[in-house]
Amino acid sequence: MSLSSAAVTAQTGLSTITAEAAVLSQNIAGANDTGIYSRKTANIVSAPDGSQAASVTRASNQAVFDNLLNATSANAMHQALSSGLDQLNQTIGSLASDSANSPATSPEALLSRFTNALYTYEASPSDATLAAAAVNAAATLAQGLNSAAATVNKLRAQADAAMAASVQSINALLAQIQAVNGQIVTGTATKAGVADAQDSRDNLLTQLAQQIGITTVAGANGSISIYSDGGVTLFQGGAARTVTFSPTAVYIPMTAGNAVFVDGVPITGGSSPMPTSSGNLAGLAVLRDDTSVKYQAQLDNIANGLITSFAESDQAGSGPNLPGLFTVPGATALPASITGLAGQIAINPGADPNQAGNPLLLRDGGISGNPSYVYNTAASASYQSRLSQLLANLSSPTAFSAAGGIAVNATLDGYATASAAWLEAQRSNAASQSSYQSALLNTATTALSNATGVNLDTEMSKMLDLENSYSATARLLSTINAMFGTLLADLGNLPA
Amino acid sequence: MGLLSAMTASVSGMAAQGNALAAISENISNASTTGYKEALIQFQDLVDQAGVTGDYTADGVNSLIRYNIAEHGNLTGTTSPTDLAIQGNGFFLVKDASGNIFMTRAGSFVPDQNGNLVNAAGYTLMGYNIGPGGAGVTNTVSGLTPVNINGAALIATPSTAGTFTANLNSNDPVLSGAPSATNYTKKSSLVAYDDLGNPVTLDLHFSNLGGNNWEVDVYNNGVQLNPPGPVTLNFDPANGHLLASSAQSLSIAVPNGQTVNLDVSNSTQLASPFAVTTATVNGNAPSQWQGVTIAPDGTMSYNYSNGQIAPAFKIPIANVNSPDNLDTVSGDAFAQSLTSGSLIIGSASIGGLGTIKSSELESSTVDLATQLTDMVVAQRGYESNSKVFQTGSEMLSSLINMLHG
Repeated sequence: MSLSSAAVTAQTGLSTITAEAAVLSQNIAGANDTGIYSRKTANIVSAPDGSQAASVTRASNQAVFDNLLNATSANAMHQALSSGLDQLNQTIGSLASDSANSPATSPEALLSRFTNALYTYEASPSDATLAAAAVNAAATLAQGLNSAAATVNKLRAQADAAMAASVQSINALLAQIQAVNGQIVTGTATKAGVADAQDSRDNLLTQLAQQIGITTVAGANGSISIYSDGGVTLFQGGAARTVTFSPTAVYIPMTAGNAVFVDGVPITGGSSPMPTSSGNLAGLAVLRDDTSVKYQAQLDNIANGLITSFAESDQAGSGPNLPGLFTVPGATALPASITGLAGQIAINPGADPNQAGNPLLLRDGGISGNPSYVYNTAASASYQSRLSQLLANLSSPTAFSAAGGIAVNATLDGYATASAAWLEAQRSNAASQSSYQSALLNTATTALSNATGVNLDTEMSKMLDLENSYSATARLLSTINAMFGTLLADLGNLPA
Repeated sequence: MGLLSAMTASVSGMAAQGNALAAISENISNASTTGYKEALIQFQDLVDQAGVTGDYTADGVNSLIRYNIAEHGNLTGTTSPTDLAIQGNGFFLVKDASGNIFMTRAGSFVPDQNGNLVNAAGYTLMGYNIGPGGAGVTNTVSGLTPVNINGAALIATPSTAGTFTANLNSNDPVLSGAPSATNYTKKSSLVAYDDLGNPVTLDLHFSNLGGNNWEVDVYNNGVQLNPPGPVTLNFDPANGHLLASSAQSLSIAVPNGQTVNLDVSNSTQLASPFAVTTATVNGNAPSQWQGVTIAPDGTMSYNYSNGQIAPAFKIPIANVNSPDNLDTVSGDAFAQSLTSGSLIIGSASIGGLGTIKSSELESSTVDLATQLTDMVVAQRGYESNSKVFQTGSEMLSSLINMLHG
């Protein structure tokens, strides 16, 4: 070893330390990264003359990361469901106590208010004011059902639009993952640094997991394959599969939304062979195709119950039953199909004082205008039996369509109560699931940060180490310089 | 004649010390030259009166220049992958503009306008073409060709083999109706490549036939591919693995491509959701050349953007029996001489040859401190010689004065 080679070794040492310091400062800068930043380590190996920074590797823990992806998807799904149901609940399902200042808007509350008005009117059938009050309560109930049905349709349309946005962002994320994955494959093959690309792919994966539940499978050269939680291929062989969805802008109760297709396989909807079960997309699909459809059916059942309970029968002959107080605008017969009744139900203009109708027809019958359907043929002012019959209809159990997903045999009032309770149960279940999953997500995030994150204390002590090594090496250089200085000075002082 | 010979001997001494100073000056000026080998001055006495007693005639000194070629300089890191150094014995083979082959350890190669690797002194690095159509490693001078880093722009490889491993859920209901392009229990897909490198999506449809039998059909855009008949995977009800008698692989004829032999032998049928654990198919799309890597064994490979690495050149290492006797050529290169022994060409790290380090350069072997101290020694030697000459001159002068007196 000569002085010159000592200088070269010291120089190598300095460049190694600066390479380490670069990684260190990257770590410190990344410590507060809101996305995924994993700790980087500069690997130092000894070289023929000193040492060299061979590569930069990142801390990773696949199991913890997979856990984070699952938690992210589950949380996103319940959040989507919970926020949709909240919206439904706030607009129509309010269980707040019915008071004069803030009247409850739920069909259940409106129905009980109408029933009370009818009871009051039954007590004094000759009172035209009470008749008008009962008819007005009926009108409010019909409008309440209309607006509830409209809200459900709007919610489904919103969920559909959100699904379209979700599909768009899935496609965008997959395209980005394809690019980053390519960089990682090239970098791994050529032994270039890929730690940053791996971080950014992990970030993209967590964003993807927000939208759809995924599992990843590692492949050659650091590449990955991505499958949906139902097993459908999203990304394989370095190529992203297409996710397609044709949105439906306007929803009416009969509308069935389109399914989302991944790689040609439907992943939402009842007929999907490989359905997705977590992520924002799954939550929106449940909201659009299941929860709100069931609630819609419940509203339709209530509307149908009202129309049939108040239908008038032919008192003179054997004609078909005709719609009474509750009807569908323009109807000349009882509706054949239940679907969509909640959105259409209205009170018969013949009994509506606001449309020049006669509210007393509630007592007398013949609201449809057909004289054969008049019950109070004697035109008695205190005729009570029709009103009693209507109230009996309301409180007798009827069969409801099973589409609502709740009790099929109940009184109309009981069914309305069960519907409100069902909605509240769905909402509170989604809310509690959402907060539970968000707690799980926090735990998973913390676990990942503990496993692969940056510990500032460690980095700071590393920095002190580096500083010391750097000073020592620099000192070595200055010593070599001093030795050369001594040599040259002594040469200068030699006697001529 | 002793006195006069003393004076001529001291003159030869001064000339020799002058040569030594010249060598030191060359060394110091090349203290930072990549691959430079320190020049050493060897002195040897001249004697032409062996056996003569009494009268003494001085014959002086002769200086010989030697290059310490076998000594290795320190390796220092650089950032260019085409900067090469040899750790251990041996030399790169290079060619000058007129086609003569030389040896050098100055490895600061950069591509010229044609992509040939040329070092700072203008010598072109030579190697053996081991890529497609190349002559391969011959370890002869005649087989050498310039190492070129401009790879073939695009290469595509059709798919021929793959592996697909998945678990099929044993609790999946039996498929109702016949399996078809739209009727299946589970589906997965793989990307394969045809002869021109077009990606072809192979849709694998798995249909549960019941009785631990699953039918596999392969589709591409809804068109069923070979095998013409369905392949049935028959699982062992005892452990969920494929029975030995079952089909273990699929031979899929890729449209406009080769037949891909897809190994499915590790698939299972267990009570767990459908999950793919391995899905790989070889082959690749046309891919851009992206750079080169040079391995320690001297293999230079082209890197393509899809991660493919294609070996293209083998950079050999040459050596001679007596490297110190090589002739030096300007530009830190050496030529075989009569005394060096013949050229031995081989691969890195084989037969005592060194290994090739990419992104490193060999420093000059000159140590400044040694050169400075040697310089003092040369200076003092020169002074002593001049003193001898002066003394001889004074003695002659006193002789002449004596005659006058």
